[in-house]
Amino acid sequence: MGILAAAIAVGLAAVGGGIGNGIIVSRTVEGIARQPELKGQLQTVMFIGVGLVEVMPIIAVVIAFMVMGQ
Amino acid sequence: MSQYQTMIARERKWMFYLLAILVLGAGFTPYLRIFLGLLLGSVVSFYNLYLLQKKTKDVTEAAGQGKSVRGIGTLSRLAAVALAVVIALRYEDYFHIIAVVIGLMTSYLVIMIDFFVHESKK
Repeated sequence: MGILAAAIAVGLAAVGGGIGNGIIVSRTVEGIARQPELKGQLQTVMFIGVGLVEVMPIIAVVIAFMVMGQ
Repeated sequence: MSQYQTMIARERKWMFYLLAILVLGAGFTPYLRIFLGLLLGSVVSFYNLYLLQKKTKDVTEAAGQGKSVRGIGTLSRLAAVALAVVIALRYEDYFHIIAVVIGLMTSYLVIMIDFFVHESKK
């Protein structure tokens, strides 16, 4: 049961993180292709966005391993 | 230096300061287990931060030149976190697991605090 719970936690968080990261990266690449002079600003926004989106899958991995360890 | 390069240099500097404080805490306070946990989490968090900065730079430079890259390294970061948690669970006598989790979040705290401080200065 613990393994199932871990798999569901990581899987759902990875789906959410994947969708979020995909949207951020696609919009950034689109923006840089249109206006290459804004690359510095877009890099900053992408970095912060990807960083914040990835918090959720990371917490999910931690919780999954703690559940599996019990 | 571009805005992005100054930002990543600043964030690395703050992470180094934080790691130095944690090493001092592990060396000179009686809470060895907690500080070792924080240290393990922060080291992995720093690796994640470095990887995220490098991959962000790679992806955006490739976009500017019309090339393609393979992913943004999400799996590597998740694997690093999993490794830290497995180490903490395996050597529970040395690492406090909650401290490891808090340590893993330090780079995100640094990113957010740096962003808000820098935005408020504008």
